[in-house]
Amino acid sequence: MSEGAMASATRLTPDELHGWLAGMLGDKRVLAAVDEDGLRVFRSVERADQIALPTGKTRWSPKEFLFARTETLFAYSVAGNEVTLDGAPVESAEQVLVGVRPCDAAGFLRLDAIFLDGDADSLYASHRVRTTVVTVACDEAGPECFCTAVGGSPASDKGSDVHLTRVADGWLVRPVTAKGDRLTASLAGVGRAPSPEEHAEAETQSTRVAGHIRQSAIAREWAAILESRFHLPLWETLGRRCVGCGICTYVCPSCSCFDVTDTGSASCGERCRSWDSCTFAAFTRHASGHNPRATQAARYRQRVLHKFSYFPLGHDGESMCVGCGRCVQLCPVGLNVRETVQAVVAAAADGHDAGG
Amino acid sequence: MPSAFQPHLARIVSTRDETPDVRTLRLAFVEPDVARRFRWEPGQFAEFSVFGSGESVFTMANSPTRPEYLECTMRAVGKVSGAIRSLSVGQVLGVRGPYGNRFPVETWRGKDLVFVAGGIGMAALRSPLQFVLDNRADFGDVVLLNGARSVADLVYKDEMAAWQDGGVRVIRTVDPGGEATGWDGEVGLLPHVFERLALGPDGRIVIVCGPPIMLHFMFLALEKSGFTPEQVVTTMENKMKCGIGLCGRCTIGRVFVCRDGPVFTWAQVRAFPKDF
Ligand SMILES: Cc1cc2nc3c(=O)[nH]c(=O)nc-3n(C[C@H](O)[C@H](O)[C@H](O)COP(=O)(O)OP(=O)(O)OC[C@H]3O[C@@H](n4cnc5c(N)ncnc54)[C@H](O)[C@@H]3O)c2cc1C
Ligand code: SF4
Ligand code: SF4
Repeated sequence: MSEGAMASATRLTPDELHGWLAGMLGDKRVLAAVDEDGLRVFRSVERADQIALPTGKTRWSPKEFLFARTETLFAYSVAGNEVTLDGAPVESAEQVLVGVRPCDAAGFLRLDAIFLDGDADSLYASHRVRTTVVTVACDEAGPECFCTAVGGSPASDKGSDVHLTRVADGWLVRPVTAKGDRLTASLAGVGRAPSPEEHAEAETQSTRVAGHIRQSAIAREWAAILESRFHLPLWETLGRRCVGCGICTYVCPSCSCFDVTDTGSASCGERCRSWDSCTFAAFTRHASGHNPRATQAARYRQRVLHKFSYFPLGHDGESMCVGCGRCVQLCPVGLNVRETVQAVVAAAADGHDAGG
Repeated sequence: MPSAFQPHLARIVSTRDETPDVRTLRLAFVEPDVARRFRWEPGQFAEFSVFGSGESVFTMANSPTRPEYLECTMRAVGKVSGAIRSLSVGQVLGVRGPYGNRFPVETWRGKDLVFVAGGIGMAALRSPLQFVLDNRADFGDVVLLNGARSVADLVYKDEMAAWQDGGVRVIRTVDPGGEATGWDGEVGLLPHVFERLALGPDGRIVIVCGPPIMLHFMFLALEKSGFTPEQVVTTMENKMKCGIGLCGRCTIGRVFVCRDGPVFTWAQVRAFPKDF
């Protein structure tokens, strides 16, 4: 974070911050990280006091507000030989995501790269334009965190519209984009310029938290190396443990594969798209029963290579993984994508590559 | 603006049963404007849907040179293809597309062509074959080698005579044991029949479509006859849902079959890992 960018930050007291957030509640849908029966999730909130901006991340990423778990594409009705289709009403209500971790905001940029590329996905695009992202710099890193290993940082404002940093007795609030300017327009005359000490405090925090993340970097050059090691027997050794539960993809900020299905009867219903997972056998199984991705290990390899090889090779080397570490934390059989990547790269360097 | 997932509506104008489980549908778009605008190239496909059952991809089976209708030939194998099978004339289905790349027909100009189709794979080669027939003077010698398990499984039986008259040498074969009384075609697997024809590689393009096992042996036969992988074109089948490079299902490494394919040279296919 550069000094220049910091200069446009405003320092707010906790009360001023809550006043600002409360002001959004009237005309916008505000989504914030809340603790609900021991589970931290993003929920729509009605009162500013529900917005606690807790330390640490939600159980799953807030991607569902841009790319819903299930979303109606259109409704159909069939009467005799006539069919009527009704496009899903385009939602235009503005929504603000408050308290997004930098890794999750980076996840939004990955989704943008996928859904807004070429044949732009108008549905995703409609949610994207109505969403403003308020990120919070992390004042603590979890044992699972590895954002710094994949080009991120606990203080990053990439993918953010307004970036918040906690300081001793308040908050630094900094608009990052034009959307952020609009959201912070109501702060005119509120708060004060941050003191040099507060700037320094933010810098120190950023360095301290990043320093807690001990995971070594996943080098950009590895994308090509990994692709060339597709046939390494190690994939089988590592991946055969995978039970294909799909948890890793569901909690992931950048997983974006989906299914398209009809719900309803032959006379009326909806066509929907919903989250799917490359770790499921049915993902690639043809109607004939033939499955080109025949083993669970091959499916685990697909997930790892998509994140760390195929996507980066098509996006200037940028990893699709944002390092939130949720999949590492929640995999029921202890699979760790970061260690897998390192093992595959190291094994080949050791000459264990079977070639091919 | 309707999303890319919202299909056009098309009405079934006629149906023709090709085999006990394969049917050809002739479709007309409900909106005259769509009927005018919807254009495709040989080898492209579309997502066809039955409301309440879902969507599946099928190749556009007629050539863009015959644009009055849209035709497709479908084998009933599962949910959507089975539901399409149960629709009758006058009923409406959804069509969105066209998607994918196409056969590079302009690079075939002046060359001899061999179309080799196994089973339902013939559906994918009918459009480029019709295209060639409609521009017959642009191409050299044209052979169609079409095979199926049995006589009953051969598709487009009613069209072969017209293709023959149009300047295509049509050779049909069935697997040993698949003959029926009065069968005057060949008996034998496609690669064997191909070898018997002794067609040399000079100035010739081979367009192949069929089940994976047939493709495998067909290519061995082609290699033996001196064809290079660049001279052989095929169209790939992979499970897909969106058709537009988003759903992530049809990928082989960095390649999206829906967007970068489905038409590939054998040189490209050969470079793909098998267990992708
Ligand atoms: C580019 C392309 C062109 C094709 N052209 C033809 C054709 O002209 N004629 C023909 O009979 N068949 C064709 N197929 C195969 C056809 O798509 C499948 O047989 C069909 O999708 C099966 O759907 P289902 O709902 O009946 O089966 P289910 O087993 O119920 O399948 C569920 C869903 O999975 C997907 N799916 C399953 N198998 C396949 C598959 N092999 N390929 C793609 N998607 C699949 C579909 O979205 C399908 O709706 C083509 C496939 C591709 C990829
Ligand atoms: S991975 Fe990085 S950005 Fe994400 S919560 Fe951990 S420290 Fe913050
Ligand atoms: S890697 Fe782990 S979390 Fe992901 S599908 Fe396999 S077992 Fe489930």
